[in-house]
Amino acid sequence: MERRNLERREVPLTALRNEETGTVTSIKSGRGRGRGRGWGFEKRLMDMGLTPGTRVTVVKSAPFHGPLEILVRGSRLALGRGMAERIFVETEKE
Amino acid sequence: MNKKKLLIALAGNANVGKSVIFNYLTGLHQHIGNWPGKTVERAEGTLHFKGYTIDIIDLPGIYSLSTYSLEELVSRKYIAVERPDIVINVVDASVLERNLFFTLQLMELETPMIIALNQMDIAKKKGIEIDAEKLEELLGVPVIPTVAIKGIGISQLLEKAVQVVEKEPIAKLVKVKYGDEVEERVAKLTKMIEGTQFYYPHRYVAIKLLEGDEEIEREVNRTSPHIVSTAKKLANEVENLHGHSCSTVITSERYEVAGCIAREAQKLVPPIKPTIEERLHTLTTHKALGYPIMAFSLLLIFYSIFTFGDYTSKLLSSFFYEWEPLFLSWFGTEIVGKLIWGGIVEGVIAGITIALPYILPFYVILYFLEDSGYLSRIAFLMDNVMHKIGLHGKAFIPLMLGYGCNVPACLGCRIMETERERLLAAFVTTLVPCAARTVIILGLVGAFMGIQWALMLYILNLLVIFALGRIAFKILPGEPTALIMEMHDYRLPHLKTVLKQTWFRLAEFIKIAFPLIIVGSLAIKLVEVLGLLEPISTALSPVTVTWLGLPAITGITLIFGILRKELTLIMLATLLGTTNFAQVLTPVQMIVFTLVAMFYIPCIATIAALVREFGWKKALSITVFEIVFAISVGGIALRILTVIVG
Repeated sequence: MERRNLERREVPLTALRNEETGTVTSIKSGRGRGRGRGWGFEKRLMDMGLTPGTRVTVVKSAPFHGPLEILVRGSRLALGRGMAERIFVETEKE
Repeated sequence: MNKKKLLIALAGNANVGKSVIFNYLTGLHQHIGNWPGKTVERAEGTLHFKGYTIDIIDLPGIYSLSTYSLEELVSRKYIAVERPDIVINVVDASVLERNLFFTLQLMELETPMIIALNQMDIAKKKGIEIDAEKLEELLGVPVIPTVAIKGIGISQLLEKAVQVVEKEPIAKLVKVKYGDEVEERVAKLTKMIEGTQFYYPHRYVAIKLLEGDEEIEREVNRTSPHIVSTAKKLANEVENLHGHSCSTVITSERYEVAGCIAREAQKLVPPIKPTIEERLHTLTTHKALGYPIMAFSLLLIFYSIFTFGDYTSKLLSSFFYEWEPLFLSWFGTEIVGKLIWGGIVEGVIAGITIALPYILPFYVILYFLEDSGYLSRIAFLMDNVMHKIGLHGKAFIPLMLGYGCNVPACLGCRIMETERERLLAAFVTTLVPCAARTVIILGLVGAFMGIQWALMLYILNLLVIFALGRIAFKILPGEPTALIMEMHDYRLPHLKTVLKQTWFRLAEFIKIAFPLIIVGSLAIKLVEVLGLLEPISTALSPVTVTWLGLPAITGITLIFGILRKELTLIMLATLLGTTNFAQVLTPVQMIVFTLVAMFYIPCIATIAALVREFGWKKALSITVFEIVFAISVGGIALRILTVIVG
């Protein structure tokens, strides 16, 4: 729609439409480096394959701002929305 | 001869069919327990093969060997310290790249290993064809294609494992190569580490230090803090070069290697039409249809378990009670006979009539749902709701189990990642009205006041769960973790594995619950025989009569309820001399009594489960809190209801 004239844009994963694909650019970690959201959170995402440069497809999201269903490296993951908001991706087309 | 012993560890991602292979190999010669001091499950088994006595250990299903979770730490230490003769890495052929990421980490531990390339059938359905020989060549690790649920490839796997152990095990192991910037620094660190003694390989320690691994940093810091500071410096250099943290760079590059190998070894021919599994997934996670499907499935499951359980439980108990006269004629109706029958035998009967009719079918269905993949879809749908009490979608599963029985539900809280979330989930779970409490709600309020009142109690219960869950979430220190969960493709569960899991779980339940049920019923019987029932009722009357407005006799029934809550109702009938409760209790009293029964401590078996998972202190705090809470709610309800009615 209004995004059509942009070549490249960096948005959180949650901004992708269903069936849209983007490439991970960075993961914004939360406060601190503790086990909670900082180091552990980022590390977990990486371990599941969401490293910078990886292509991610959003399949859909659960209703009422629920988690996202994504495809990454051939596997299907459910990702909490709060977490998905901090994964930034770049989209190529349109 | 006694040298012919082998230790094999099974390692791999979750849901790759590891436990199916484990079951194939070990049959019923299994032992399931916990890792010492950890709430991480440890499954061991033995088998005999070609003159070897082989011990097999099934490591937890994990995605990485970092220290994100207890499971990962336990697995890594086990491989490094216990040094199994060989590790069988079970790999899901249908998600090769992600699985190889784990394989590469195992290889870095420099452990002798072979790969079971499992779920070849599922891969094929998805249009993935893998050249096992090519994969073997690329990794330098023997690869055996398997379809575990059909038993295909299992004997070859075992044969290969023994063969590799007998020859030089890690001769061909390929080294995972990172980018130059990283390799340079790994080499530098490795050289520094070479002088030190450590149970991980030097190169591995170097890589992990660059990744900022907390456990290894701590260990190395003990003897050589200068290595850690150098590592930090080197990691910073990498970060400056790449613009990402060094840990990110290493993980990315490792994935890059995994991706390259996967692309070289597999051919993709995606099917044109979506498969049945794919359609089933779309349907069961559909934003509109997903919820009704879930609600219907769950209701159906609970309805069948309750119907079956009720019927079988009655059958079993009448069978056992037929022996009572005979038994008493042997031991006499004196104090000894009474104690043995009423204490020990009735305790055992109570245990059996819960375990077989309810717990058994419950576990069968649970494992069926889990193995098939439906549980993860339910977690996906419910994530949002669970966030309201600071938990993520997976917590819905123990909560749901709680409606059947709180004991497996408490044990089921292990699916949560952190200790804090396990405790929080367990606490909330104990508030869920289990089958036994449902008997009270329906048998008293439902039967004598109408189903709408029973329904209101359920709704009130839900509100309380959310309110208390939220408060506990705010009070407990630490931050919530979000949902990251794989939804593997739907598949047909392996019946034998499901049944075996059920069997071992049932045994665990018996081990936890039975001793306490028996001790408990013995104690209560003793109180009865000694004629202490009356004095206790009187002693409790300030609470039961004054505060709760109930007949004094209910005090005893509530104590009995600790054993088995549905017995509360039967006892109440005996003590009040009628099953027509409407004659002896006012509607308000019924509601107050049911409220107290609903919220006060989960039964003794649940307390045992809590103790086992969280220790005495936490179990006791939860118990005491819930008793106080239940009594408060009951008293407040009495006063409110009296005002409304009166």
